[in-house]
Amino acid sequence: MKLRILLADDHEIVRRGLRALLEKHEGWEVCGEASDGREAMEKALQLKPDVVIVDIGMPNLNGLDTTRQLLQHDPHFKVIVLTITDSDQVIREALDAGARGFVLKSDAARDLVSAVEALQNKRMFFTPRVNDLVLAGFLEKGHTVSRNEAPKLPTLTAREREITQLLAEGNSSKEVACLLNLSTKTVETHRSNIMRKLSFHSIRDLVVYAIKNNLIQIELPPPPPPKSPAGPTAA
Amino acid sequence: MTIRILVVDDHPVVRQGLKTLLEGRSGWEVIGEASDGAEAVEKARNLNPDVMVLDVTMPRMNGLEACRVLRRQSPQLEILFVTQHDSPQMMREALDAGARGYVVKSNAARDLLAAVEAVSQHRIFTALNGRDIAGLH
Repeated sequence: MKLRILLADDHEIVRRGLRALLEKHEGWEVCGEASDGREAMEKALQLKPDVVIVDIGMPNLNGLDTTRQLLQHDPHFKVIVLTITDSDQVIREALDAGARGFVLKSDAARDLVSAVEALQNKRMFFTPRVNDLVLAGFLEKGHTVSRNEAPKLPTLTAREREITQLLAEGNSSKEVACLLNLSTKTVETHRSNIMRKLSFHSIRDLVVYAIKNNLIQIELPPPPPPKSPAGPTAA
Repeated sequence: MTIRILVVDDHPVVRQGLKTLLEGRSGWEVIGEASDGAEAVEKARNLNPDVMVLDVTMPRMNGLEACRVLRRQSPQLEILFVTQHDSPQMMREALDAGARGYVVKSNAARDLLAAVEAVSQHRIFTALNGRDIAGLH
């Protein structure tokens, strides 16, 4: 019987690349694709894949929250998270969310197949760079892993995190209400609670928080070129 | 119509996805890949592609810098940016750097083939999310 894999990434181009990579492996099948966390949840519950591969930086519901919700629903799901960033915080959050694999997108062509194989054999997989980072971090700080060590992510509920992400993505309260099947008043109440809990005064504070806490991931544009006397004109 | 394409992105998975899409078109061939701007410049010199599909944010040399160099080195080459940056300002910078096309990665599956076809015929093709910028065609 083929190993069935669900792919969740907001870029179809990335999903095509991942599919091409995975389907070269005999015995594996990509049984479905999703372009955001909500669709990933829906398809995972419907298709019951053996492995779910989720991008951390997806709109509507990010990969970490998707992982948490999937595993709350059914702890037997096996999830690999894909990410463009490799900070200690992201690693911790992925582990705390229950991911069994963690792969950097830049290393996916090399590591993803090994990650799926590991999960297929009931092992976990963390890309070598992640292992190095985690080990270096522990050696520097001189402490061991503590299961009681709370993640840096503070006191927001799961629903509040969802709403924070959607607001940081630029959705209005009305749009968030529509996406989550809530009333606008309910969303406004959550929004007020979030702003109060985090002591924020503006949506900008919320956006910065969402970026710092990996609710949304951004790719920074390159720096502007140095000024020169005469530049090339458009073609 | 034969089009020889060089694909440049720092993520191998993205390059694979682009390649799969491009090679679905009869007569189109991905003749090489590069993972940063400097490698793109070198491979363009050696392989002489018709079109380069180029990411913006890359290590060593970013796509905008590479584009400026390529405009001088390979004037016959047409450059199409495929990027995360859904920004009119970034798009204008790309066109000022000498690119002929600009599409956003989230819509690449929808826009890429038409974009490559257009730039290979020396036409401008730009598409940001939900809007096309008038007056640039």
